[in-house]
Amino acid sequence: MKGFAERDGAAVATLDDDERLVIARIVADVGLLLGGEDFGAERQSSLPHREDLAEALAFLDALADSPAEPDDPALLRLLPNAAPEDREVAEEFRRLTQDDLRASKLARLRRIWDELSTEGGEWVVPEADVMATAAALTDVRLVLASRLGLERDEDAEALHEEIARATAALEQASPAEVGIDPERLWLGMVYDALTWLQESLVSLTLGGQR
Amino acid sequence: MGTREQLDAQAGVGTRVQDPWVTIVWNDPVNLMSYVTRVFQEYFHLPRHEAEARMREVHENGRSILSAGSREQMEVHVQAMHSYGLWATLERSGK
Repeated sequence: MKGFAERDGAAVATLDDDERLVIARIVADVGLLLGGEDFGAERQSSLPHREDLAEALAFLDALADSPAEPDDPALLRLLPNAAPEDREVAEEFRRLTQDDLRASKLARLRRIWDELSTEGGEWVVPEADVMATAAALTDVRLVLASRLGLERDEDAEALHEEIARATAALEQASPAEVGIDPERLWLGMVYDALTWLQESLVSLTLGGQR
Repeated sequence: MGTREQLDAQAGVGTRVQDPWVTIVWNDPVNLMSYVTRVFQEYFHLPRHEAEARMREVHENGRSILSAGSREQMEVHVQAMHSYGLWATLERSGK
């Protein structure tokens, strides 16, 4: 994976087929969590079926398994309580805004899924789509972070160190021998990769803006 | 403070005693500092240095008041922050 860099006024990242497949899948899973239709069922992705990635991709699908109830912590991060100490205000806000928020988040995820489900090694984000793409990456990372139990800044730092340690240990031994939960490790690695990708996108100043 | 007054007109940034409601953005472990700064620049039309100062306030103090005004205005701002994936709330000011 090569992070976003500027080319002709657009942000361009380079992903291999596996990376496209994984990111497209997780984007679709977050869409399902938000109550969207199944992106993949409607239009066949041109991405190849990969038996060797099946276990890892099953971890992603489990993200969307929990029913989309308002008390699902991952969904609550996407559609948070706007007034935790004032129930009337919170309920009114949810009633007024929830449908629009869901729709705009789904539309952004959908656009990324479409882009990543077509052939090609590049992910091109025009300047006008940079913030929408960054916002969609935030939504995906919020869901992963919720499943990984990241609640405070220290949790994110601890996860990062845990992954570094695990990756080093795995050069010598299997996950079972190292005592690592493969699902947590894999989701954590996806989270770290998406964080890095989002940072590369957001830190670009396209066309000399600002 | 002419700049501040212009910002008030644009997006309601800055607080006045008589404003009954405020929009608060809270710290979370997921949102990147660079992203939060850009959101504040883009949505609240803050100059970069002020957007960074607000972002640091969120990061270091756990929260920052980004705007003040009517409840309806604050609902619009909070909805925008939620759309960006930031955790924002509204409440009566002076709490």
